[in-house]
Amino acid sequence: MDDIFSQVREGNAFNVRVWLDNTENDLNKGDDHRFSLLHWAAREGRDNVVEMLIKRGARINATNMGDDTPIHLAAAHGHREVVIMLLQNKANVNAINEHGNTPLHYACFWGFEQIAEDLVNYGALVSIANKFGDVPLDKCKPYLAKILKDRAVTLGQDLSRIPFKDRSWLGYKTRSRDAILSRHTGIDIKELQLVGHIAKTHSGENWRGTWQGNEIVAKILSMKSISDRNIRDFKEELPKLRIFNHPNVLAVLGCCVPKDIPDLVVISQFMPFGSLYNTLHGESGIVVDQNQALRFAIDIARGMEFLHSMEPLIPNFILTSKHVMIDEDLAKINVDDPKYTSGDPTLNGIDEDLTAKINMADYKFSFHEKGKLFSPAWCAPEALQRAPEDINVRAADMWSFAILLWELETREVPFAELEPMEIGMKVALEDLRISIPPGISNHMNRLIKICMNEEPGKRPKFDMVIPILEKMKLSS
Amino acid sequence: MATSPNTSTLSPSKKKDESFLEKIGTMGRKKKIKEVTELQEEGKNAIESPTSPNIPDIGPEGYQLADNEERSMIEPTSRDNPKLIELIKVLLDWINDELADHRIIVKDIEEDLFDGQILQKLIEKLCNVRVEAREVTQSEIGQKQKLRVVLDYINHILGVSPVWSQQKWSVDSVHSKNLVAILHLLVALARHFHAPIRMPDNVVVTLIVIQKIDNSLQTRYVPEEITTNWDDVDGRGERDAFDTLFDHAPDKLNVVKKTLLTFVNKYLMKLNLEITDLDNQFHDGVFLIMLMGLLEGYFTPLYQFHVTPTTFDHRVHNVKFAFELMEDAGLMKPKARPEDIVNQDLKSTLRVLYNIFTKYKSSHGSQAVPVQ
Repeated sequence: MDDIFSQVREGNAFNVRVWLDNTENDLNKGDDHRFSLLHWAAREGRDNVVEMLIKRGARINATNMGDDTPIHLAAAHGHREVVIMLLQNKANVNAINEHGNTPLHYACFWGFEQIAEDLVNYGALVSIANKFGDVPLDKCKPYLAKILKDRAVTLGQDLSRIPFKDRSWLGYKTRSRDAILSRHTGIDIKELQLVGHIAKTHSGENWRGTWQGNEIVAKILSMKSISDRNIRDFKEELPKLRIFNHPNVLAVLGCCVPKDIPDLVVISQFMPFGSLYNTLHGESGIVVDQNQALRFAIDIARGMEFLHSMEPLIPNFILTSKHVMIDEDLAKINVDDPKYTSGDPTLNGIDEDLTAKINMADYKFSFHEKGKLFSPAWCAPEALQRAPEDINVRAADMWSFAILLWELETREVPFAELEPMEIGMKVALEDLRISIPPGISNHMNRLIKICMNEEPGKRPKFDMVIPILEKMKLSS
Repeated sequence: MATSPNTSTLSPSKKKDESFLEKIGTMGRKKKIKEVTELQEEGKNAIESPTSPNIPDIGPEGYQLADNEERSMIEPTSRDNPKLIELIKVLLDWINDELADHRIIVKDIEEDLFDGQILQKLIEKLCNVRVEAREVTQSEIGQKQKLRVVLDYINHILGVSPVWSQQKWSVDSVHSKNLVAILHLLVALARHFHAPIRMPDNVVVTLIVIQKIDNSLQTRYVPEEITTNWDDVDGRGERDAFDTLFDHAPDKLNVVKKTLLTFVNKYLMKLNLEITDLDNQFHDGVFLIMLMGLLEGYFTPLYQFHVTPTTFDHRVHNVKFAFELMEDAGLMKPKARPEDIVNQDLKSTLRVLYNIFTKYKSSHGSQAVPVQ
């Protein structure tokens, strides 16, 4: 198992699955040339591995050092099944590599007629010029060129030549992840270039910085004092948070443990959009439409389903909108989106290009903030009254999810006018509940009510909620 | 353990204690029962009597006083002083609490402590040491030797001078079951080890002192202070504004109390709670916890403390938790012990509240409190 890349190349599905099941493994990591696993599987035509990787959330449009995306490689090597699978999963059909070539350039050059036709059917432009001024049609045999040209015309393509545009700046965003990130745990704080103070919250101070070229957030836990026992617990609990193998879970990268500095520091990736709470209630300027809201709900549900599938369950994670981060959906990045050509990173071009991730850096360490709950509004009544070991934690999380759904629907902060202490006491002892305002769809209204059933045992599980949300999304 | 030296013979009243059931039994059985009772009683006396000192048989000449010599005894009516009775009860409860693991139960403060055995166990428990002294012994000399060892050790731990301790609790006075000496000793121990008890303040007993002057006996009544004002002697830091307030400005004290009351109610009102009496509504810790949560913006899950505490331990747990929250909030660690709050020590309670008030009054715009 020591080289997952060769396992993928050889199509050894079983070993790949075992590797993917290990939470510490990052399925988006790249090799020395930043070929991701998906690149290799696509290049070698390992349909089953490609399918598995896509299901697990591999980035469809990741680029290697030459700016090739997986579909470039699949097209160049004539793996039609793979090409179709990638196209169905929103691969960017007109992605260009460092030479300015699109997948269609390669399909034409190598004479894979069927693939070339498929590409054109999926919107590949026949008249994109590469660095050398050649369009795909220049690359293929005349009879194929004619077929493709006719097809393009029937599809309404404008056949005038599209000149080459240098987009290499985009590479830094889409390139496969630096594999180093998932290999480190203990980090020397001196290696972190901390540049700016982001925020101070009850749980700690957040600093922004870079580490080995990656943008990170370093969270210094607020502690009155740190005992040896705290350090031991910290070291024991932290590795569980390094979950790299799910697209809707944001892993903790590493930590600094006191040596020279007297602090416990948790390091995670920097997310420029901030938390869901921030996106919904702050002044982020991001427009979250109905579709995007549903997308977030599905993302969160998937992330929670994954966390709930773990044995043992990670304790002390409280699901609130503050603990969910918003990220660009790199799996679906499309270079032709105006957002990327305009160079304005906050512009929200097409809908649903944001994804929600459960932030493991917001895990509450067992020794941290003992006896205090800062966001009781999201907690189930039984979680406010009884210890985690005495309740069904998974059912309590479902309650929190119901509050999140309510939040996504109403765009309001639950019990905004009350103090945490009031919320906690009233929810726990006086049956204070959120009220669902009129104007919310019947389906959503019912789902919220089901998820926050007063009887914990009657609440659904996440794998039951996901198909309902997906159905809602399709019909909206 | 309770023994009394003069119950050696079976008292005639025993017969009356026979129950109705015993009477209707057969004669033989009745006789047997009687024999058994008698035997038990005899055995009990055989075991217990020798451990008690003989009533010091000083004989007629023992009552002779030399010129200027004096004797003292407690004035009998002051034994009924309710404060004294309370003090004895509190001390007994404390000893029994400490020695519960040893299955030792002390019933009588005078009769059970004189031989040094219980005192040895107590000091061993409090200091977590072993004191090398003779085992239970029956002879007066042996008991006194043991008591000497134990008292020397206690004096060493308390750091008191031999002269002083000789006056307050000498081997002879303790061994002769002198209540005043035993109380002085126990109060000193309770103070030193911060016993989680609240002893009544200003307990005074009256001693009758008889002195022979020029061949005639003079009688004086002398008040003896067993406990003084709690805070003056508790050795926990220097006097502060609250001591002054309590001693010299009781009218101002009410103003302070009122201001603190307004302050806490301003926050607790949000939970529909209202404090009417600072003296006895904070002792179970619940309101302190709520107050911290309201001030610092968090909820304390209900399994972290006892929402409706029923025992002393529950209350101590709650107050301890509240103290931790205060420290987390950057407040000074309260000087008082959680037990003081639980025991409704007003001064400690006020200090804790005032400490909170000082930190949060400005951020939440209250008026200042006049404590200086």
